[in-house]
Amino acid sequence: MSVENLKAYIESGVLELYVLGDLSPQEALQVQEIAIKHQEVREELAAIESAMEKFAMQNAIQPSASVETKLFEKLGISLDEQTEPVLIPSLPQETKIVQLEPNDGKIKTLRYALVACVALLVISTAALFITYSKLTDAHDQIASLNLDKQKFAGIVSKLEYSNQGLSNLVEMNDSKEWATIKMQGQAISPQSKMNVYWNKKNKSVLINYLAMDLPKADAQHEYQLWAMVNGKPVSLGVFGKTDSTSKEALLKMQTIQEAQAFAVTLEPMGGSVNPTMEKLTVMGGV
Amino acid sequence: MYSPALYGVISRIITHTELAEDVLQETFVKIWQSAEYYDNTKGRLFTWMMNIARNLSIDKLRSKDFKNSLKNQDIENNVSFVDEQNKVTFNPDVLGIKQLVENLKPDLQAVLDLVYYKGFTHVEAAEKLDLPLGTVKTRIRLAIIELRRSFN
Repeated sequence: MSVENLKAYIESGVLELYVLGDLSPQEALQVQEIAIKHQEVREELAAIESAMEKFAMQNAIQPSASVETKLFEKLGISLDEQTEPVLIPSLPQETKIVQLEPNDGKIKTLRYALVACVALLVISTAALFITYSKLTDAHDQIASLNLDKQKFAGIVSKLEYSNQGLSNLVEMNDSKEWATIKMQGQAISPQSKMNVYWNKKNKSVLINYLAMDLPKADAQHEYQLWAMVNGKPVSLGVFGKTDSTSKEALLKMQTIQEAQAFAVTLEPMGGSVNPTMEKLTVMGGV
Repeated sequence: MYSPALYGVISRIITHTELAEDVLQETFVKIWQSAEYYDNTKGRLFTWMMNIARNLSIDKLRSKDFKNSLKNQDIENNVSFVDEQNKVTFNPDVLGIKQLVENLKPDLQAVLDLVYYKGFTHVEAAEKLDLPLGTVKTRIRLAIIELRRSFN
């Protein structure tokens, strides 16, 4: 509807008839539809209604008191029967139930939750301490077990080492190829003794750390094995201390074609060209 | 609180005090019973109540009961009854509003008198005054605009 049409519509007086209830239902419906669409029509209707209301208010007439009494009697019956028992008593009760109980319940729930939280905290802390001390114990145990393990590993390697040496000794004793030369302690160390194993076939010479009992050499000295060939000493190489940690119990020395005797002297590190006779430790003839 | 205003509307259509009070009572009963049908998007509450009062008043005015009651007036009341019918006297309650409307131009006053006080539809008013429908509508509008102006 254009602005002019709207103006004409308002000025036609149909809105006044609408407010006065002087329109057919269809016409009234049309007015309502137009009012929904147009602000101007709504405002005009409101102004007319307001004027009619003020008009009626200003020219109100107080009816006689009997009308009011009769009216309240008539309405009061329906009030008491229908509306009052349903609406009025139920409302305050409802609000009380809705407002108070959930709040109480909430506070109670929160209190319980708080207590539960504190209890949980205490339990957790205790559990943490217990776990921590157990963990420390476990660490200690692991450390001691590691120590034990190392000890056992050392023992096992030692046993393996001696077992190998012993089995070699047994083998060589049983074999006919090998000659065992027993060397006896000399002047500087009468208790010392040592064995040398000489293969008659390929002339190789072996010593066994397990089959020797020599005094401990100091850091600057080591033992040197000699073969006496026609009265002359021939070096067969140096070997380490008796407590050597080398894995092999057996040590292969230089081969010698023939020898009348074997001897061991204590020489400076690296060995000497000629044996230091004063340091002759053990000696044995073939 | 609306009771005096509605009674004012009713007693302008029905000048007979007892009948007007009956109609007022019926109006409130009807308002009470049909309160759920009131739609505040369609207009003010008072407009709705006023139209219920007006419709009931007009129905009463046209009912057989009312016509019979007119015929059965007591002989003592005849003078005032005849006066009322001929607009010689005014219901004293209605005096104030009549004066207010009398400030209107006579042609506007005649239309408002029929439509608002006598419960005529605008079609009936047009017939009675022998005027085109459009003119009646315009005059109703102008009369209400006058009322609006007087309240502002």
